[in-house]
Amino acid sequence: MSSNRLVWTRTSIWLGFLALLALGLGLLPAYGFSLAFWFYLLLWITLASGLNIMAGFTGYLPFGYVAFYGIGAYAAAVTVKMHGLPIWAGFIAAALAGVVLSLLFARTMVLRGIYFSIVSLALAVICRLLIAAMPEDVAGGSYGIALGFSNPDGAYYAMLALMLATLLTVTWLAQSRLGMALRAIRDDPDTAETVGINIGRVRLKAWVLSAVIASMTGAIEAWYTSIVDTETAFNLLVSTKAVIFAVAGGLGTVIGPVVGTVVMLIVDDLIWQHFPVLNVFLLGLVIVLLMMFLPSGIVGSLIRAKPFLRRILF
Amino acid sequence: MMTTLLIQALVSGLILGALYGLIGCSLTIIYGTMRIVNFSHGEFVVAGCFAVLMFFSATGLHPLLSIPLVFVAFFLVGMCLYYLFVPRLNRGDDPEVASFLTFYGVSLMAGAILLFFFQADTRSLNYVFTPSVFKIGHVFIPTAHIAALATGIAIIAALTWFLYKTIYGKALRAAIMNRDAIQIVGVNINTLSALAFGLAIAIAASTGVLLALVFPAFGPFSGMDYTLIGFVVIVLGGLGHPIGAIIGGIVFGIAEQVAIVFLPQSLSQAVGFVILIAAITLRPSGLFGKVALR
Repeated sequence: MSSNRLVWTRTSIWLGFLALLALGLGLLPAYGFSLAFWFYLLLWITLASGLNIMAGFTGYLPFGYVAFYGIGAYAAAVTVKMHGLPIWAGFIAAALAGVVLSLLFARTMVLRGIYFSIVSLALAVICRLLIAAMPEDVAGGSYGIALGFSNPDGAYYAMLALMLATLLTVTWLAQSRLGMALRAIRDDPDTAETVGINIGRVRLKAWVLSAVIASMTGAIEAWYTSIVDTETAFNLLVSTKAVIFAVAGGLGTVIGPVVGTVVMLIVDDLIWQHFPVLNVFLLGLVIVLLMMFLPSGIVGSLIRAKPFLRRILF
Repeated sequence: MMTTLLIQALVSGLILGALYGLIGCSLTIIYGTMRIVNFSHGEFVVAGCFAVLMFFSATGLHPLLSIPLVFVAFFLVGMCLYYLFVPRLNRGDDPEVASFLTFYGVSLMAGAILLFFFQADTRSLNYVFTPSVFKIGHVFIPTAHIAALATGIAIIAALTWFLYKTIYGKALRAAIMNRDAIQIVGVNINTLSALAFGLAIAIAASTGVLLALVFPAFGPFSGMDYTLIGFVVIVLGGLGHPIGAIIGGIVFGIAEQVAIVFLPQSLSQAVGFVILIAAITLRPSGLFGKVALR
């Protein structure tokens, strides 16, 4: 089986699976399912996959990823509530805010490893404090903003669309020149530069892409809950969860973040149902065991143990 | 009036900064020697706060006397943690990310254990020094703060002596500089790393004892805050430079306390982080570090 055919086969299987998934998930509201679980499943798949573009493909782990999510939620809420514009204008504002913020933070990419992660985290904290300190008629102050209307079904479909767009983008990225350049930078920046990859420009593309996915997610979540406040919109747990879900599935793989999110959310749910007192302890234990025994994540470890699985997993 | 406030802020900034510095210093010993990101570091600081509380309510002795006991106990805890997790993590492809997540899990577990034993309410150490306040000019300094600062300085001095004058300390710094080369000259990196891990956790918990004297109230949830402060401080001071971390801590502490005088409470928290960004932009390897950048 030639390499091209292999890529073609697994991509078609994956796209077929995605089409079925989209159909099934799209029909859920019509059959009266409770949307809360499903909405957040889609949300976390999107965030984990968006983070994967930066952490998995490019090798930069932004602990402060939540900054983009929060700024998106606020941009949408301010546009809709303070300026009386419709929700689609809020989404555009959120995307723009993501682009602007990621360009502002682009300079931090001269840092590597843990340096980059910590500075990105510090930036997220600063964003939260600055927005909380703004006057109430600009950004709601420390009480947050209530949108005054909500449309859970609409938000659910928007989230589904964003998740599909994100997964298609990552699928394309995995086989594109850009994705290859990103991986080259991750594995060996010096060699990447020698073979003519413009490191600054290539990783900036990944950074902006990753940021816009998070800021759109934040905007859709704001529409879903119809309320935005600094404590939840900039909660560092959003970053950590996205990182854990992506790593649990396998950083740098396309399917990994999806599998990781599904598995970890189910585990989380089971723990909450059966051991409410011990839930945080057990969640910690699950994370520790996962990292001890499957350090490259579920999908990553499967591919490593059984190379023939490359035909369907990537 | 303003100058008094300012001096007051400088003094409390120095005291807090020395303690933040110790947290960062112990964190950088771990990261420097084994590239392990100990995200559960703050939980051990908080565990130190609770340890002194238990010591004081059980024996009624002076809280500072608990430090040797806390140091030894947490040294052993640290050694156990090392042998449980680190050799396995170091065999993976990306120890940095894997260790961050593993110790995030440990931090969740440690936080849950603290919560289980001590409940969610904040506690305080009801020990009163006599006299309770010192007055120097117009500046009032609580005796507890002076005691904490003095002990903190003593720990820093002992640590500096250990790192620069003893053969073990030199081996530790050598391991931070070049992990491969030190094995060639015959140092058992595994034992050395285990000792370093024990030392770092012991310093973190001892710092917790001092923080219990300085901060009137503490609860099981503040671990993450101390971890964050520790990381900011080491990035500020230069990664892999234990004494740089202490300077970084003092800069951070003073900036935070002085900012409280001039800015509203909510914004003053941001100042330490803004300094971090500014320092990184001007001098990307930290105040004292040497790190290859691109």
